[in-house]
Amino acid sequence: MIEKILIVDDSPVARKMLKNSIPKNRGYEIFEATDGRDGIKKYQLLKPEIVFMDLTMPGLDGYAALEQIIKLDNNAIVIVMTADVQPKSISNVMALGAFTLLKKPAKAHVIEEALDKAEKALNERG
Amino acid sequence: MAADSILFSEEERDILQEIMNIAFGNATAELAELIDIQVILSIPDVKIIDFQSLPDHLGEAINHGSKNSVTGQKFWGDFSGSGLLFLPVGTERILSKFLNVSSLDGGENTPEEDTLPPETLKSGLLLEISNILVGACVGKISGLLNTSVSYTPPELLTIDSSDYQFLLKHFNADQAAIVMKTLFQFEQQDINGLLLVMTNHDSVKWLKNALHEFINAYEG
Repeated sequence: MIEKILIVDDSPVARKMLKNSIPKNRGYEIFEATDGRDGIKKYQLLKPEIVFMDLTMPGLDGYAALEQIIKLDNNAIVIVMTADVQPKSISNVMALGAFTLLKKPAKAHVIEEALDKAEKALNERG
Repeated sequence: MAADSILFSEEERDILQEIMNIAFGNATAELAELIDIQVILSIPDVKIIDFQSLPDHLGEAINHGSKNSVTGQKFWGDFSGSGLLFLPVGTERILSKFLNVSSLDGGENTPEEDTLPPETLKSGLLLEISNILVGACVGKISGLLNTSVSYTPPELLTIDSSDYQFLLKHFNADQAAIVMKTLFQFEQQDINGLLLVMTNHDSVKWLKNALHEFINAYEG
């Protein structure tokens, strides 16, 4: 069951857009991180069931943060949210272990569908 | 219009930066459909700068004095301005490999390419890349802000130069109201480019409203 969601994005606007697109009636606790390093730190601290990860960030980018999080927890569900939808970027993040990739800006129903898919995967993993 | 007379709140700048990020991502995906090469994106930078200082600002932003070819395209509508693409010397040679236009990379030419002088092929390639990146980027910005724009055809403004003073003559001083720029790099190639979108000061009032409408659509 999804209880905690971590949003990792350097853009306060992108975080706000995503936060407001996450269904409010499901009781999720939402946390924010401002770059890859902060994301890894908060992942270890909070152990969220879901991470939304941007790719282009200062310092440690989303690729490196995704790789680190998967190393820490092979079952981590990381949903990459990016404007970079080049085929090679998509294949790179999927190879690194992303659960799925959503194109920015994602509509609320797209976020909801991704969360439903993630919830199902979590249930199947027990 | 003096740069300091255009007031954007921190939130408005953040929204512009995110919109530029989305728009440039869209533009590179369009380019990736044409050439089998990944474009590494950087975080876009949104600045309001005085037009007179633009050439010096660009000189510092682009590899500190390296020579670049510059292509530009004007657009107009609610959102008006210019898109400029800066690509360093040799870009066209590398891109020509991926576009199968071999006479610039020393390969064999097709009969049709044989009829075109290398300089024509070079400018044609630069204009084509410019058309794709500027068109897709400005088109996405306009789409996100619920408007549409018309474009002039792309033009080659300078070839292999490190002096950008010509911009002062080429553009109306109002064009430098807001400068949105993104540096990018081609995968495994030593090519760093810059895409810059400048908007007219006439668009500022409209732009501010459009930015608020954009973010309001996401308000909870």
